[in-house]
Amino acid sequence: MSHERGGQRPGLAVFARAWAKAVTGTSYLPVTPAQLEGFLEGLTVRLVEALYAEPFSLRRGYQIGADLVAAHIASAEGLGRTIEVIELRLLRDLGLSPTAPSADPGSGDDLRDRMARLLGSVAIGYARALRDRTLDEQESIRRAAMVAREQAEQALRESESRFRHQATHDPLTDLPNRALFTERLAAAFDRDGGSSRRLGVCFVDLDGFKMVNDTLGHHAGDLLLTSVAAKLRRGVGEHLVARLGGDEFVILVEDTTCTDDVLKVADAALAAINEPTVVDGQELRVSASIGIVERPVAGTTPSEVMRAADITLHWAKTSGKGRWALFDPERNERELTRYALSSAMPAALERGEFCLDYQPLVSLADGRLLGVEALVRWRHPQLGVLRPDKFIGLAEETGLIVRLGGWVLAEACRQARRWVDLSPKAPFVSVNLAVRQVRGQGLVKEVTGLLREHGLPPDRLQLEITESAMMNNADESVDSLRSLADLGVRIAIDDFGTGYSNLSYLRTLPVCELKVAGSFVEGLRAPAAEPASITDERILATLVSLAHTLKLTVTAENVETATQADRLRAIGCDAAQGWHFGAPMPPSHVDALL
Amino acid sequence: MRRPDWASATIEIDRPSTARMYDYFLGGSHNFAVDREAAQAMIAAVPETPLIAQANRAFLRRTVRFLAEAGVRQFLDIGSGIPTVGNVHEIAQAAAPESTVVYVDVDPLAVGHSREILDGNERAVAVQADIRDPDRIIDHPEVRKLIDFGQPVALMIVAVLHFVRDEDRPAEIVARLRSALAPGSYLVLSQACGEGRTSTEWAEAYAIYQRTDHPLHNRGRAEITRLFDGFTLVEPGVVWVPEWRPDSPHAVEEAERSIYIGGVGRLG
Repeated sequence: MSHERGGQRPGLAVFARAWAKAVTGTSYLPVTPAQLEGFLEGLTVRLVEALYAEPFSLRRGYQIGADLVAAHIASAEGLGRTIEVIELRLLRDLGLSPTAPSADPGSGDDLRDRMARLLGSVAIGYARALRDRTLDEQESIRRAAMVAREQAEQALRESESRFRHQATHDPLTDLPNRALFTERLAAAFDRDGGSSRRLGVCFVDLDGFKMVNDTLGHHAGDLLLTSVAAKLRRGVGEHLVARLGGDEFVILVEDTTCTDDVLKVADAALAAINEPTVVDGQELRVSASIGIVERPVAGTTPSEVMRAADITLHWAKTSGKGRWALFDPERNERELTRYALSSAMPAALERGEFCLDYQPLVSLADGRLLGVEALVRWRHPQLGVLRPDKFIGLAEETGLIVRLGGWVLAEACRQARRWVDLSPKAPFVSVNLAVRQVRGQGLVKEVTGLLREHGLPPDRLQLEITESAMMNNADESVDSLRSLADLGVRIAIDDFGTGYSNLSYLRTLPVCELKVAGSFVEGLRAPAAEPASITDERILATLVSLAHTLKLTVTAENVETATQADRLRAIGCDAAQGWHFGAPMPPSHVDALL
Repeated sequence: MRRPDWASATIEIDRPSTARMYDYFLGGSHNFAVDREAAQAMIAAVPETPLIAQANRAFLRRTVRFLAEAGVRQFLDIGSGIPTVGNVHEIAQAAAPESTVVYVDVDPLAVGHSREILDGNERAVAVQADIRDPDRIIDHPEVRKLIDFGQPVALMIVAVLHFVRDEDRPAEIVARLRSALAPGSYLVLSQACGEGRTSTEWAEAYAIYQRTDHPLHNRGRAEITRLFDGFTLVEPGVVWVPEWRPDSPHAVEEAERSIYIGGVGRLG
């Protein structure tokens, strides 16, 4: 049958070209026009076959429609134009017109009928395929959207977690940093679990880390820190180890039952750190100090815990390093008080909260008032009157002693002058000099200035110097004391007999009096027959004898009983001071003694 | 302006995507309602838009075939969008199965879809990157895996640069990419040109693309030609895309209304 050799029909190419032209532009066709025409020629042959097939089968039409879509002729316009061009031109171009005399079997009506059914089946096949393709593409793009969104979210989560890790970890050691530690400590406080819950913190600081950095370089220092971090993490098990910065680490021990739980962790940490570390081929051994706090969560705060741990670390360092110290609230209280006093002192001096009391120095021979010792007092607004033992040590630590001592000296001179004005029997005023005052420049100038300012006879001023002030006596100190002595100012050695009692300075210094330490005098309170008492008495007698040989006078301190006074008098001691002769008193009370 | 890798672009399907609009113009269904709405608005403004897109796609097809015949076996397609019908790897690998193709797009969804299509194809890959960061593209490990910059590469920048603002220095981007190419490489480039359309049409087009992920910037023919600096243009030079080595003479009818101009240049 001629239609079976349709490829040879002259009209075939003409029709295919017309078809190609009709569908071009209806959607993107990834082929050349020639390829498209070739493809449509093939379909044309199949159309003709379907038209004449016996029995007539809709399936051929369906397939042709589906193949069009598969070839990307896949749009509503593509279908419309295809139907139009087939209906209009297929039979005519291929010379198959039902009206043509050469028509194949079947009446014209039959052929028209078949054409209608063929077009219907092509349209059905096409629409089904297009619908499937659309659905597939929709599904595909939605899946891509979903996947892309998941990936974006995943990337976001990863970046967030990376960012969070960076924000909460130390880049060098990868340990949690201060921020994360603070967070975890706060969480330990906020967690439920009753008020009986306890926790512990070990504040770890390497000993001598700076030296590693300085001698081996920062690179070695970093390696050491990394190694210590790893050892700590291994050594203390599940507890949080964080690096706070520098060579400071901290371990959080949650849910402790007792202090011992934390001490074990601290021991483990010290042991771990003590293991040798090889850095740049060198074996390094470092130790660490640890401040430990362990307490119930109730009644404290994270910042209190950290402050306590910091203080305790300092204790561990000052008591020799390479060890832990446990927080002691009483010690802390004492230190706090000291610190508070120490920091309040400068302002107190400005505000005139210091004043002087005077204790009589009395002649043992005739009970005459020879002098008075100026004793500084701090009228503290909250703590009441403080004696020097509460604050002189602090003033020496902070260096305020120089200003405070200066004030005492000036006030004592002013007062001494008042007594000179008041009575010809005015006592000398004995003023304690701190080591720093003796060693400082300008003592001579200061004293001479005061003497001149108040018109005070030099012998009405006595300067008391401790033995320790004379230790390692620099030439300048000796020179200045000699200058003062040359002016006529009295120089006394305070607390003689308790220090090294180096006799050599008695030879070189212009001293005029020894004040014998109260501890020897104390022995004289006991019954005279007791051996210890006898020993003290003999020492005192020897001292007096020595002093007198050197033309020095001797004053005994802390004389509290008549017996003591009698025995001192018997020894030949020149003067005495103590409760027996009068407690420290305000200057107005001294007035009455004149 | 390099964005860290982890600060990945988020997926926005509430905003029309130029990649999915382009798919719609080509007759695809890889698009969402927002895309179709914007695409239909564009068709209302410029009714031939689908034909223009198809013409540009046909230009891509002809250039890939040309390059495959010229012996190029490596293709770097930047701004590949949704590679649905007639994508580069189909054409290139049909001509020479050993051809390698790297698709690069900034749209993570387009990249995701490309990966789905390329699943199982060891000689083609899709990479998410921004053309404005050419160094990242050149140095990308996945790009490096498939593309040997010591051998000729076909650098395809087709219908992309009109989404790059002047401030982002498109000429420098192309120059940077060119500097990575070996002699014998090619540049295929097309982009929207301001000629041949009324200012009203452009105004409407600008307004529509303003709502999309990539606003539109057309350029003049001279400026587009300058993008080929350093390359030797092959015949017929920089032309309206239907005029570039057409398959049939009909295809060039009304070429001056086809918005895109482009060409192919050879390096060295």
